[in-house]
Amino acid sequence: MRIWGIIVVLILAGISFAATYFITDEWVEEQIEYQASVINEAKVEVDGLVFDLMNLHLRWDRLQVTNPNSTMENTFETGETEFQVEFWPLVLASKVIVNNMQVTGFELATERETDGAFEVPEEETDAEPGFLYGVVNQVSSQAQQNAEVRFTDARDDLNVDSLMAKVNIQSPQKIDSLRKGVEKTYSKWDSTFKNTNVRKEIAQVETTVNAIKPKEIKQPKQLVEAIENVQKLRKQVDSLKTRAETIKQEFEQDYGTTREDLSQVDDWIRADYQRALSVAKLPDLDVQNIGKALFGSNLLGDYAAYLEYVAIAREYGSRLVGAEDSTEEIPRYEGIDYHFTDKYDLPGFWFKNIELSGRTKSDVEISGMVTGISSSQKKTGEPVKFEVGGRDENEVRLSLNGEFNYLEEEPRESFTLAYEGFTLSKARFSGSDLLPYELSSGKGDVSVNLSIIDKRIDSRIDYLARDISFDFASAGQPKNRLERLVRDAIGSTDRIDVSALVDNVDGPLRVRVRSNVDDLFMNALRQTVSQELENARRKIEAEVQQRVEGRKEQLAEFKRKKEEEIQQRYEELQSQIEEKVQLVEDKKKELEERKKELESSLKDEIKDRIGIDFK
Amino acid sequence: MFLIMRYIAKLLKALASEASPAQIAGGVILGMIIGLTPLSSPHNLIILVLILIFKVNFGMAILSFTIFSGIAYLADPLFHSFGTYLLELESMQETWTSMYNNEWWAFTNFYNTVVMGSFVSALILSGPMFPLVMYGVVQYREHIHAKVQKWKIVQAFKGTKFYTIYQTVSRVRG
Repeated sequence: MRIWGIIVVLILAGISFAATYFITDEWVEEQIEYQASVINEAKVEVDGLVFDLMNLHLRWDRLQVTNPNSTMENTFETGETEFQVEFWPLVLASKVIVNNMQVTGFELATERETDGAFEVPEEETDAEPGFLYGVVNQVSSQAQQNAEVRFTDARDDLNVDSLMAKVNIQSPQKIDSLRKGVEKTYSKWDSTFKNTNVRKEIAQVETTVNAIKPKEIKQPKQLVEAIENVQKLRKQVDSLKTRAETIKQEFEQDYGTTREDLSQVDDWIRADYQRALSVAKLPDLDVQNIGKALFGSNLLGDYAAYLEYVAIAREYGSRLVGAEDSTEEIPRYEGIDYHFTDKYDLPGFWFKNIELSGRTKSDVEISGMVTGISSSQKKTGEPVKFEVGGRDENEVRLSLNGEFNYLEEEPRESFTLAYEGFTLSKARFSGSDLLPYELSSGKGDVSVNLSIIDKRIDSRIDYLARDISFDFASAGQPKNRLERLVRDAIGSTDRIDVSALVDNVDGPLRVRVRSNVDDLFMNALRQTVSQELENARRKIEAEVQQRVEGRKEQLAEFKRKKEEEIQQRYEELQSQIEEKVQLVEDKKKELEERKKELESSLKDEIKDRIGIDFK
Repeated sequence: MFLIMRYIAKLLKALASEASPAQIAGGVILGMIIGLTPLSSPHNLIILVLILIFKVNFGMAILSFTIFSGIAYLADPLFHSFGTYLLELESMQETWTSMYNNEWWAFTNFYNTVVMGSFVSALILSGPMFPLVMYGVVQYREHIHAKVQKWKIVQAFKGTKFYTIYQTVSRVRG
């Protein structure tokens, strides 16, 4: 045994131990922040991180995850958090497996003190699924439109000229552009028919056929040659016929495309009309629209916010799945690993149980469990499940349960949220000018049910305002008949029940909002602004029609004329070909007759010379 | 060239040193195991500790490691095939599986074809190599060393400045 050897080993062991002890928490913090920010595409900040390498124990005082779509806001943040990473999966396979994690001070959508924008390095960027964000935009846009509807602005003396100055009427330009396209298409075909080689070949055929003079042919050999030539000419004429038909078919195909373009003109006019209505902010007096206009802005705005969280979850899910190693390469000197069991076939990270506690924006203390957060649900066999709830001193209750399931090909997200018993005192129930009153008392309940399977959404938000009374006094006297009718209608109710349904189960995305007061408002509106709205609508429609009047018909007429011209050219060509077919056929007949004559005279000659009759 | 000359000088010096043939053979065997198997394999840490705490010839271990690393690079496909054969042996499946399920065994990377093939090959080679190297050292010292010292090339080499510097450095290092 070497004494100095043992000393060296001991020194090396000591250095290793010291290294683990002195690895700075800042270094680990920086690594976590950078990697998490790349995945999040916005800053993830950790404060007060303490990492114990010997026990693989991690804790931090605060974690902020920036919302990548609004970098002055956090998607969520946590307070003191701690967990322990399992040793063997980390050492053997570099997998972060956490059995239990304690998260306190959890809060959603908190404001940031600094901008959380993060520039993702180019090599780290990844494609993202945009479907849910598309739905969020559609719903937000509907909410915005509904907020802009002003029923009380409808007037009989609508100034159409000033309105039209604001509307970009696009149909005339589009029709002009289509006309140019039609002109270009027809000049192309005009030139094709004019310059086609078919005409030259027809002339050549005619010359060749006319040059054959059956009467002047005396020798059988010459006759056989002439017949063969005529047969060739017949084939050539058939080929010309086929070519002419091909040109015609191509033309008809091109013509068909132009016809489809022409059918869009009505859609363009309709779109201009809708745009003008939208600028004029004229509402459609329909029960469905009343619901949307009264409550759509608030309800759909909330809905878009809920859906955005699901979109974020799906986005993270897809990014993390993409980051998992899918194919195993076989580097030369490294050989192949034989995995005898699936013991180490773990996801990159797996937080099995997270005990969560925190508060909502409205100060409801919440607590609950989140389970199964991993980088590959297919490896863990578990979806993300969450069950969080709480209540405050005023008996306001909140519960949120759901599942984000990415185990199969189609991603599935579903959750139910119930928020019950919140006060409506001093709250304005609707953003609409039809209901501009604050509530003097009342309680509210909201429940949300959302289910998304891949790109199919089925969701419902129910909003119940109970024991309500409106504060009409502070709004003063009714300014018009409509206001008086509305006050009369809603003053007698102490409960408003609204449902919003957003789904695309039977086709494109549908957003419907219904409430128990729709009919009350509808009646009030029908008695007051209905006629004014109809008049304004007619004026706008007439103006749009006047601006595009005649253009569509002119275009259709122009197209018809040009088409006739081309058709005429084709028919002319076809008739020339038919003529040549006839000419060739006639020549063939003449040659057949001449052949018979020559045969007969030949037989007569043989008979005269050797006395044998071949007839 | 400088490197080769240095290794030859080291080899000759070790063979002629006071180290016993068993110490030299031990150094060669342990260096060979590290050289033939992938360097980052955890078992090499144990071999390194063995080299440090046992009185094997350190220089021969380094020399052996260098030479066998080169051989391993060429023999890698053979080790891979041999490792594959061993890991696929029907009679061993139960053993491999229970070893794989034990974290300490799994830590050795035995389930890798090259690690398994090269390590078992190194162990098999160690058996005949140890007495062969010992015998070789004894034979060299008895019959060859004196003759080698008389070779003109060795004389010429000993006369170079390089050898003088090398000797001085070696003395300083101990």
